[in-house]
Amino acid sequence: MDFGYSPEQQALRREVQDFIGANITEAVKAEMSDLNEGFGVSPGRHNSPNINALFKKIHARGWLGISYPKEYGGQGGDRMTAYIVEEEFARADISVGLNGSGAPAIMAAGTEQQKQYFLPKLITGEYSFALGFTEPHAGADLASLQCRAVRDGEHYVINGQKMYTSSAHSATHIYLMARTNPNLPKHRGISIFLFPMDTPGITVRPLWTMQNDPKAPLGTTYGTPRTNETFFEEVRIPAACLLGKENEGWRVGAMGLNLDRVGAARYLISVRRDEDIVNFVKSNNFDGYVPKQNPAIRDKIAELWIEAQVCRLMTMRSMSIVEHGGNFTYEGSAEKTWAPEHGVRTTEAIAQMLGPYGQLLNGSPHAVESGVFAHNLQGAFQSGINHGSTQVMRDQVARRGLDMPRK
Amino acid sequence: MDTTLGEEEVMIRESARKFLEAKCPTKLVRAMEKDEKGYPPELWKEAAELGWQGLALPEEYGGSALPLTYLGLVMQEVGRALAPLPLLSTVSAALTLAEYGDKALCETVLPKVVTGDCILTWAFTEQDPRYLPETVRLSAVADGDDFVLNGTKLFVENFVVADLCLVVCRTSDSGLSVYLVDAGSPGISHRPLTTLAKDKQSEVTFTNVRVPRGRLVGTLNQGAEVAQFMIDRATALLCAQMLGATRKDMEMAVEWSKFRKAFGQPIGAFQSLQHMCADMLMWVDGGDLLTFEALWKMDEGLPAYVEVSQAKAFCNEKCQAVVRSCQVIHGGIGFIMEFDLQLWYRRVCAWTTRLGTAYEHRARIAEALLDHPGQVILGQPVPVLEDA
Repeated sequence: MDFGYSPEQQALRREVQDFIGANITEAVKAEMSDLNEGFGVSPGRHNSPNINALFKKIHARGWLGISYPKEYGGQGGDRMTAYIVEEEFARADISVGLNGSGAPAIMAAGTEQQKQYFLPKLITGEYSFALGFTEPHAGADLASLQCRAVRDGEHYVINGQKMYTSSAHSATHIYLMARTNPNLPKHRGISIFLFPMDTPGITVRPLWTMQNDPKAPLGTTYGTPRTNETFFEEVRIPAACLLGKENEGWRVGAMGLNLDRVGAARYLISVRRDEDIVNFVKSNNFDGYVPKQNPAIRDKIAELWIEAQVCRLMTMRSMSIVEHGGNFTYEGSAEKTWAPEHGVRTTEAIAQMLGPYGQLLNGSPHAVESGVFAHNLQGAFQSGINHGSTQVMRDQVARRGLDMPRK
Repeated sequence: MDTTLGEEEVMIRESARKFLEAKCPTKLVRAMEKDEKGYPPELWKEAAELGWQGLALPEEYGGSALPLTYLGLVMQEVGRALAPLPLLSTVSAALTLAEYGDKALCETVLPKVVTGDCILTWAFTEQDPRYLPETVRLSAVADGDDFVLNGTKLFVENFVVADLCLVVCRTSDSGLSVYLVDAGSPGISHRPLTTLAKDKQSEVTFTNVRVPRGRLVGTLNQGAEVAQFMIDRATALLCAQMLGATRKDMEMAVEWSKFRKAFGQPIGAFQSLQHMCADMLMWVDGGDLLTFEALWKMDEGLPAYVEVSQAKAFCNEKCQAVVRSCQVIHGGIGFIMEFDLQLWYRRVCAWTTRLGTAYEHRARIAEALLDHPGQVILGQPVPVLEDA
């Protein structure tokens, strides 16, 4: 056991902090605010010269794709180093990690050609994936998905509909889960395909969220203003778009999802409001009413702080397991239950600490911290739904962590 | 950063578990609830042969000078087996003595602690149950070469078998001092309290008890710091002990749920029950992580009172919830005396009330978070360091 960071890791953290202090200029912040898609800003094809220049600098420092091998455009570094860099940038609303990118699954299951083709460009943001998992009738029970992919010579033909394809309007590619064999049991007839979004036959329709009007401020937990539904009509793609083997897509997808459930991004979206409320309460009052002198608020803040520490330590546990070359079985699911539910408890408690100020949205007169606490009420609970609901996660904790029976 | 156990740490845990599985059946636990001493001297001696009492004590006194995290692993196993040993009170006092006691006193006492020939305890709390310096009224007044103690301590663990007791006394309006007192000194009387855990706690009354000046531990009137050092270590180690017991309790309930059938299937196949169990696992794991971070920080000589309070406040509520859920999963049989589950339930409940309530610990955390300048960041020291 060692709960500290090495001198090198501490030096790296300071280096990143100094870089952020020097390079996230007002001009960058203004562009980030305009661009706000509700998540940290990732490297990509933005029409934002200052942001693009910033990511070039970050890339030059070797801070993109840290834990990916050098031959695929990464740095060949360890996961903990990547974590430290990701954490510091995430606090500045910059996303340098590859969460939700499809990259972990490609690394785990891709052909050499796919790795060469996708990974370097995913790392720099030149390519990005919309994730095509959920369907109108397949959410938590994802394996019941119906989107079809039919083999036709050296091609597959896709027909169907996907829901909540959040970046479908901006992504270059889609990471699609489709049924290739309807006669096999539902988990076994699924395959994953990677192909460009500009393939003929794809239609994207926006679904606007609660966070769209007004827009959530940067740093909101799930401040996403827009997601999409995406339709596939006779979409013809080369057979080489298949990721992993045909009909084994469930295993590949689960692998990528599990890796997406942990790390700096998931941890920070669950705990940033804890830091915010402590720092707000310790230095603010409302016309002489000092919330930090309220014993009930003090007790609640301490309780939430402890829970937030558990979020941090659970993340550290997952990182430690990966560092030892192991796979977390139930630990990732535990983290994905505890952290989102904690984020909700914090968010709801803050509303009761701030009273009517807690409902004021971004841009309103008297809004506290740009309305982030109010916007969080519209977003925090989403963390317990996306990437596997907490109910499904608890099933996994019980079954994998405690070996409890299915029947 | 590595939260997993190293090879040596696994070995410590495994050997302690094997030893207690062999030597400490629940039959012994039950017998000690009715025993006058409350502990089996043979087991205490064997524990000393394994080096438990001296595990984290300096080598110059015969100890092994291993980290507190290792001692925490042993305490977890002691909790798991509900081993009726006066270990927590002994090591908490011994660690404090080693840190603050003068060399002569340490040389007299600590080697005997290491060999299992001396049981220690300590006394802080009086009628006001909070762990605050202002609650201490028991007075120590200088008289010739001695100090004379008058007052009453409550909830003193293992006093019935202790050889020596570290007593926190008031020596001035604003100052506390700590003395190492012979438990058999003239003027001391004590009566047992009946606890939920059915372990040994006493009310101890001091009437003109004379203690030589040489028994002062630490500096005169600076005893609050000594007491805090002792209480913080005792608290973190109690958390480890609670978590060991709570995890075992959880394991028993999960096992039970796999075999107990209702409505044609094992009750453990019902999701409502699986989700209860998933929560239990997350809570026990969370408690472990908080507790071992606190112990690790103390090993590193870093300020750790916030981490200690995080662990105890969390364990008080979550361990209680886990053992209650385990009772629920077992149904009626869980509260029948001849069934073993109640042994764990009663102890964990009792331990949650000791060494600071959730409210007290959260008040300490709130003070650190809110009453010091600087921006807090999770993962960085709280209170915020001044040069940060």
